[in-house]
Amino acid sequence: MTDGPLAALLSSHRVIVSCGAGGVGKTTTAAALGVAAARRGKRVLVLTIDPARRLAEALGIDMQSAEAMSVEPARFEEAGYPATGQLTAMMLDTKRTFDGLVLKHSSSPERAEKLLANKIYQQISSSLAGTQEYMAMEKLLAVQGDPRFDLIILDTPPTANALDFLDAPQKLVDALDSAAMRWFIEAFESSGKFSLNLLAKSASVVLRGLGKITGGEFLGDMAQVLSQLDELFGGFKERAALVQAFLASSEVCFVLVASPSPVAIQEGLFFADRLRASRMRCAAFILNQVHMAPAGDPGSPRLGEVAEGYAQALRGGAPSPLDDDLPARLAEAYAGAHRIAKHDAGVLQKLTSEWSALMPILAIPRLAQDVHDVKLLGQVSEFLLQAQPVVGA
Amino acid sequence: MSEAVPTVKLVIVTGKGGVGKTSVAAALAQAHAKSGRRVLVALCNVKESLSGLLGSEPIDWQVRRVAQNIWGVNMDPERCVEEYGAMTLHSKALFALLFNNKFLRTFLRAIPGLHEWAMLGKVWWHTTELRENGAFAYDLVILDAPATGHGLDMLRVPKVIVEVVPPGILRRDAEKAWALFQDPLRCQVVVVTVPEEMPTTETLELAGAMQGELRIPVGRLVINSVSAPLFSQAERAAVGAEVPVFPGSEGLLAGGLRAAARERCERETRQAHQMKRLAEGLNLPTTYLPLLPDGAATPEAIGVLAKRFLEAWLR
Repeated sequence: MTDGPLAALLSSHRVIVSCGAGGVGKTTTAAALGVAAARRGKRVLVLTIDPARRLAEALGIDMQSAEAMSVEPARFEEAGYPATGQLTAMMLDTKRTFDGLVLKHSSSPERAEKLLANKIYQQISSSLAGTQEYMAMEKLLAVQGDPRFDLIILDTPPTANALDFLDAPQKLVDALDSAAMRWFIEAFESSGKFSLNLLAKSASVVLRGLGKITGGEFLGDMAQVLSQLDELFGGFKERAALVQAFLASSEVCFVLVASPSPVAIQEGLFFADRLRASRMRCAAFILNQVHMAPAGDPGSPRLGEVAEGYAQALRGGAPSPLDDDLPARLAEAYAGAHRIAKHDAGVLQKLTSEWSALMPILAIPRLAQDVHDVKLLGQVSEFLLQAQPVVGA
Repeated sequence: MSEAVPTVKLVIVTGKGGVGKTSVAAALAQAHAKSGRRVLVALCNVKESLSGLLGSEPIDWQVRRVAQNIWGVNMDPERCVEEYGAMTLHSKALFALLFNNKFLRTFLRAIPGLHEWAMLGKVWWHTTELRENGAFAYDLVILDAPATGHGLDMLRVPKVIVEVVPPGILRRDAEKAWALFQDPLRCQVVVVTVPEEMPTTETLELAGAMQGELRIPVGRLVINSVSAPLFSQAERAAVGAEVPVFPGSEGLLAGGLRAAARERCERETRQAHQMKRLAEGLNLPTTYLPLLPDGAATPEAIGVLAKRFLEAWLR
């Protein structure tokens, strides 16, 4: 079998970002691409966010440590998918990454410790909207120059909207914009005192108004923590700009993943539009988990007779009175498989007729079971490597 | 309130991404609406698909009627913050001063959890909202909550406010909302899943976190996309094993038939296994929704699911 466009991507780019709505197999696709790369001799790092436990185990990730772990070559060998390269997987731990940045960039260890112990910081570092996405990008920046890897595959956080991944860091940056922070610090320093600074004066009025809702010193504490963070990172703004520029560089491409459901596909297409608008590369649209039609014609006049023969063989002799409708049920299973395959084929056809001119659209068959070990990942990697673009009518 | 009137005012629908939460919320709304209840479905700032499911006009940040007895809103967190501010400040001048201030808007965006709180607060308020005639505006509010992790983060916010924020209006309101979420007589959490391995694992963890860490009782499990078993356990075993040659067994048709039967049997075995895990792990009242051959994303499909809810749960 010949290689398809995904195989070429493994060599032509430094970073592949896997995106899509929740539940479409994004993490599995990222992992299987990693396996594909290792089989093609690459030293690949798969950065994943929240892998299912068994998938994590298959990748050799220790869920407790979040350290980078390499899959033993023997495991590929045993699974029947020998790899000449190396697959390393790492789980992204948002809080740990955030804490690491604080420790690294603080002016003194005492200052860092104080911030890390702050109750408000602890909430922010794990739950501020956009933190997970921002930290995924920080991590990407941190590892992209690592000479131990030829290729980095980034699995994006499980957002409700795939677009959040691109937008959230900017929102976080806007929220921590330092002009607003300075304004607040000034306001808090002067509130309660008489100040000729009109800006700060209006600010203290505003804050007292808000204080009516939140009560006490809460807002002041919050502003302190946020401003300290802003100072720590030497401007989130510059870093976010850096990340955006890197994502738009020729070293990075995006792979969109969707399942054959209208909602997931819409999500993927919105993302494709958005990537184009941001001059980022959308290298492929993967329609994942596609049901394939079984062989043969569901309308064949011989179906009843063959089903009868198959049922006889299954019974290993005379039918028991309970299962005398077995041939009919076998035929029903066959018809059902055709029905669902037809549905998925319709979805694929609609997708390609509108979009195949703009990006390669690849259909990946649904496996009969959840993908949770190296062997199944190898099987998916085979599909991914060989998938040829489906061209619209 | 007489005993005949159901006391549940709020249903929170959550579950792993991609399992059909919004379809369940839509079908549930339709089922209640058919029984004559006024239902509001609240979406959390999503690219909404609910209108497509109900066959209505698009749903935006303003509450509007989308079908008989059904209202919908796609909550915009910043607008929710403003609504909340307007409601609590009781002063138009002070409100304008606050929310026309660019810096304040920026600052509000940075406060972790504020958007989540504003949306939850709005949902809570709608459960108490009255019409001019003094009756409740809605008999039931259905919150289509974010998927697992984000959903937990969201529901955790009022708890954090109660713990971290000093006494004041915000804390008072958070306490009320929190009390509602924790009260199984007034609030029902519905966890949606599909009978597959990863969603099952995530569902067990989700329900554990809800009932453990958050102490929010889960009221019902909805297992979506269940295919009615065609084969008995013995038959599945026979299909999985090697079979002797039979007339036509070398042909394409027989090959396809065997592959389809084998796959179907494997799916049924897996499904039974996952349903067993869910039953043993959660021990919750459960509703099963059928796998629909053409997907669950059309008004017709939602009608089928709503009917199922009426027959198997809401009677």
